Amino acid sequence: MEIKELMQELSALKGVSNASMIRDNVVKLDIDKNSSKEFFTKLRDDFGFEHCSLITAIDNQPEFELVYHFTSVNKSVTVGSTDMSVMMEAHVFLERDTPTIESISDLWGGANWHEREAFDLMGIYFVGHPDLRRVLLPEGFAGHPLRKDYVYEIHEEEW
Amino acid sequence: MAEMWISMGPQHPMTHGLWTLKVKVDGETITDADPELGYLHRSVEKMGERRKYFMNTTLTDRLCYASSTTWTHNYVLTVEELMNVEVPERAKYIRTIMLELQRLASHLMWAGAYMPDLGHITGALYFWRDRELFLNLLEVPSGSRLLYNYIRIGGVKRDLPDGFVEKTERVFKLFEKRLDEYADLFENSKIFRMRTEDVGNFTAAQAQNLGITGPNMRGCGTKFDLRKNDPYEIYEEIDWAIQTREAGPGYSDCFSRYMVRIDEMKESIRIIRDCFKKMPKGPTLASAIPVRAQGEAFRRTEDSRGEALMYVVGDGTDRPYRWKIKSPMFTTISACPHYLKGYKLADIPAIMGSIDICIGETDK
Repeated sequence: MEIKELMQELSALKGVSNASMIRDNVVKLDIDKNSSKEFFTKLRDDFGFEHCSLITAIDNQPEFELVYHFTSVNKSVTVGSTDMSVMMEAHVFLERDTPTIESISDLWGGANWHEREAFDLMGIYFVGHPDLRRVLLPEGFAGHPLRKDYVYEIHEEEW
Repeated sequence: MAEMWISMGPQHPMTHGLWTLKVKVDGETITDADPELGYLHRSVEKMGERRKYFMNTTLTDRLCYASSTTWTHNYVLTVEELMNVEVPERAKYIRTIMLELQRLASHLMWAGAYMPDLGHITGALYFWRDRELFLNLLEVPSGSRLLYNYIRIGGVKRDLPDGFVEKTERVFKLFEKRLDEYADLFENSKIFRMRTEDVGNFTAAQAQNLGITGPNMRGCGTKFDLRKNDPYEIYEEIDWAIQTREAGPGYSDCFSRYMVRIDEMKESIRIIRDCFKKMPKGPTLASAIPVRAQGEAFRRTEDSRGEALMYVVGDGTDRPYRWKIKSPMFTTISACPHYLKGYKLADIPAIMGSIDICIGETDK
């Protein structure tokens, strides 16, 4: 499949908006939170993105933003006649009061610890995650330090 | 037999850095594993939000002491994408040379650390002796032995000094002879192969799904290298090939992962020699480098250990609003229950050593 076709087919899916190409081999789009799981399942099974590169959580104040990066390793999507591997960047926006989204660690095993890290440092709750514990900070640490409203001094005394 | 949990680490000869591996064993056979990280967490991402863009290169150097240039380069590449900085042609060549020298030093560091894991202490001394040759080469233009801070936003700190090409060529000639010696010592050694063959297997499909990238993935025969598949700097113009190995159809073992790294070292030498041939003259640093940045950018590069990715969001000030680091080892360690299950407790040093762990970049 050519990358232009991929973009057209992806933008026709439910909950997808603002699809664009930011580089020759990167498609960027926004997904609605409620149809994200359905979209990601299709992305893996029908479009051949077999590697989850990264999940980033951003505190945009007030809302949170999740950025997913996926890679097509076996080149089921091509860029012209080049050898380039295609990447997909998906943005999901979450409200501050309910920072929850469905987990994708059952689809990509590599997403498991990225989600744990986003929970640990940013306090995003992944529904259906098998083992949502802190991964970098110690058990019993209070707060999520990468949030912009995190105040270090208060938590230092608690810990 | 009754099952029990055994804790290896945070201070254990197997760990190569501070982390804990809890393994559940049934007799001698591993039935489950639970890796734990965080002993070396320095909150690099949070610190980066308080520093100006150009200051962060000192932090990225300290992400991994064995491979500091590749991390600084990844950060600089991302920020250049964010700020739309055009890098001079000669600086791109110098960067590629430094990256490949760093890859050689990093792979030698790994090979030296892997040999004591297998009970071959002398091997460590051989490989680290050679690593010192490459550290000396990296020291010539940068002035430091481990943490170089040589690659800057817009280019490199200074041009290569006179005589660098000849000096590098002398090291290569010596090192190529020694690689043949090592082939006799390790690849053709029955004991080495008994410890590494058919141990710690995983398939290519598993590697892709679990996020195992880099030499570990190429050890399964997957032809995927970001220097070719998402080219940066001047890898497109250089004459080289992706190195792959397989233990069997579509899966890797410790030995194939060892061989991929040895092949990659030979390929790095080829890349550097070609760079010296094609390198043009000219400036090595862009003239106008912005201080502020707005928007978002990400770049991925082939680190010595796999796919490194950084994602930077700028809000118009001179400091990053959000800076995210993807470490290839973070996901590779998370997948360790999959490739440890079913093997014996005594195989753990051989398996975990073969994936080339660096805790500095993993814990961030």
